[in-house]
Amino acid sequence: MTTNTGVATRRTGKAPKPTPGRWRRTGDGARSAVATAVLIVLCTAMLETGSRLELWTSATLPPPSEVLPAAGALLGTGQFWRDAARSGVEIGTSISFGLLAGLGLGVVFWKLPIAGRIFEPYLIAFYSVPLVLFYPMMIVLVGLNIWSVIILASIMAAIPMTLNTWVGLSGVPAVYMRLARSITCTRTQTLFCVALPAAAPFVFAGARLATAYALIGAIAMEFTTAQAGLGYRIRYLYESFDTVHMYAYVAIVLGVSILLTAVLEIVERVLFARRVR
Amino acid sequence: MTAWTAPYRARVAAWTAPLGSAGVAALAVVVWQVVSGMTFVVPAPAATVQALVRDLADTSFQHDLAVTCVAAFWAFVIGAMTGAVLGLALGSSRRARLVFEPLVVALNGVPKIVLYPLLLPLLHLGMGSKIALGVLFAMFPVLINVATGVRAIPSVYWSLAKSLNAGRAQTLLHVTLPAIRRPVLTGLRLAVSLALVGVVLAEFFATKRGLGRVVLQSYTAGDYPDMMATILLLVLVSFVLSLALWRLERSIR
Repeated sequence: MTTNTGVATRRTGKAPKPTPGRWRRTGDGARSAVATAVLIVLCTAMLETGSRLELWTSATLPPPSEVLPAAGALLGTGQFWRDAARSGVEIGTSISFGLLAGLGLGVVFWKLPIAGRIFEPYLIAFYSVPLVLFYPMMIVLVGLNIWSVIILASIMAAIPMTLNTWVGLSGVPAVYMRLARSITCTRTQTLFCVALPAAAPFVFAGARLATAYALIGAIAMEFTTAQAGLGYRIRYLYESFDTVHMYAYVAIVLGVSILLTAVLEIVERVLFARRVR
Repeated sequence: MTAWTAPYRARVAAWTAPLGSAGVAALAVVVWQVVSGMTFVVPAPAATVQALVRDLADTSFQHDLAVTCVAAFWAFVIGAMTGAVLGLALGSSRRARLVFEPLVVALNGVPKIVLYPLLLPLLHLGMGSKIALGVLFAMFPVLINVATGVRAIPSVYWSLAKSLNAGRAQTLLHVTLPAIRRPVLTGLRLAVSLALVGVVLAEFFATKRGLGRVVLQSYTAGDYPDMMATILLLVLVSFVLSLALWRLERSIR
């Protein structure tokens, strides 16, 4: 697990150490997967029992046996897919913008360390969410539409991507760059065939963080005020006291984001396990 | 010649970055001024500062400010402590890591705000639910950084502690904590601004007092200087705290 929230600072930038024993790790992975599944089932069972024993009212937290079928039924409704499409477009666009901008800025800061040091305090201070607070201002500025969310979520995604690309590139051993020069690589070749591949574990970790931040930011902003989207729908249903459907949406959002995190985590492990071998 | 140039250059370089950063801020204010001249919805920097000064003198605003500060403080303290304890547990036991780590990582990637409707009926509209959301926001960076930090401690440290017959508390106090102070500080730095954001987001949603409420009210009333001033105050506070902790983090390398 790369520090999911604390990106390595420029000064501690080292490539992650290869871990020995791939077989043992595969066994561990299976055990972890089973344990996680058991934990999720246990939690669901607890919620169900608590509801059945009426430790809380069904209006507060309906039992999973009502919420999960409702979530399943939602998947057949146009309303759900409209909201999902809106959130999906917002999140997808923000991730693409964020990754491109972050990669570009990371490279610029690596080439021009002084520019990097000038912007570093801002990257550090706006790392992780405080940008969400600008959302009301953004609505006033660009209107209550998809762009107010996309602009802020893109910046939120770009920050970890920039920092990680920069840290990764700064940690590339000097001998790699010397080799590139000695075989007369062009600048583009040096960047794309030597430096970026060497920094790949960091760049990928940055991309993973960027994805998480775009998702968290977009949903949080929709939840605050919006006209559509999954976050907006949860709040709307809360305010109309439709708890079963609200929790159905909550379950779907949780499920999707957990799935996304898991997929990226697995992709990362597979990619870099191969590199280590 | 070189003997003179090198330290001179270093001194110039040491000043360029902070000056440049200040220049970026100044440029941002200039852009803000220009934009405010182009559209009426953006209050001018001067008007915003005036609104901020007026607000800070207002007792009702002071009350809102105090409410948010107290909530954010407790969210930070409780979140950091919970995160540290869970992180220590997760970091020091292989079994705990196998069982709980995937879920912790997954939960960290979840938009925690969607859990807020769940917290509301449990803790009601007041302080409790706000602090709880702040705790949810602030806990994860500390937890993950502590766990990763503990795991990265070289095993020779544990051998040394064992060879000196250090007890559990002694090992924790004299070996573990000093060894992980950097990741812990990183976690705390993130937790400070996250606790504040969590509390303010909760106040956007439903509450009687607090700066989040002020922002939303001035948004609805179209009172943009007040809204901008409050947002700016919140962002500045989190900005200054983050930077201070970041400096501290770098200095204790």
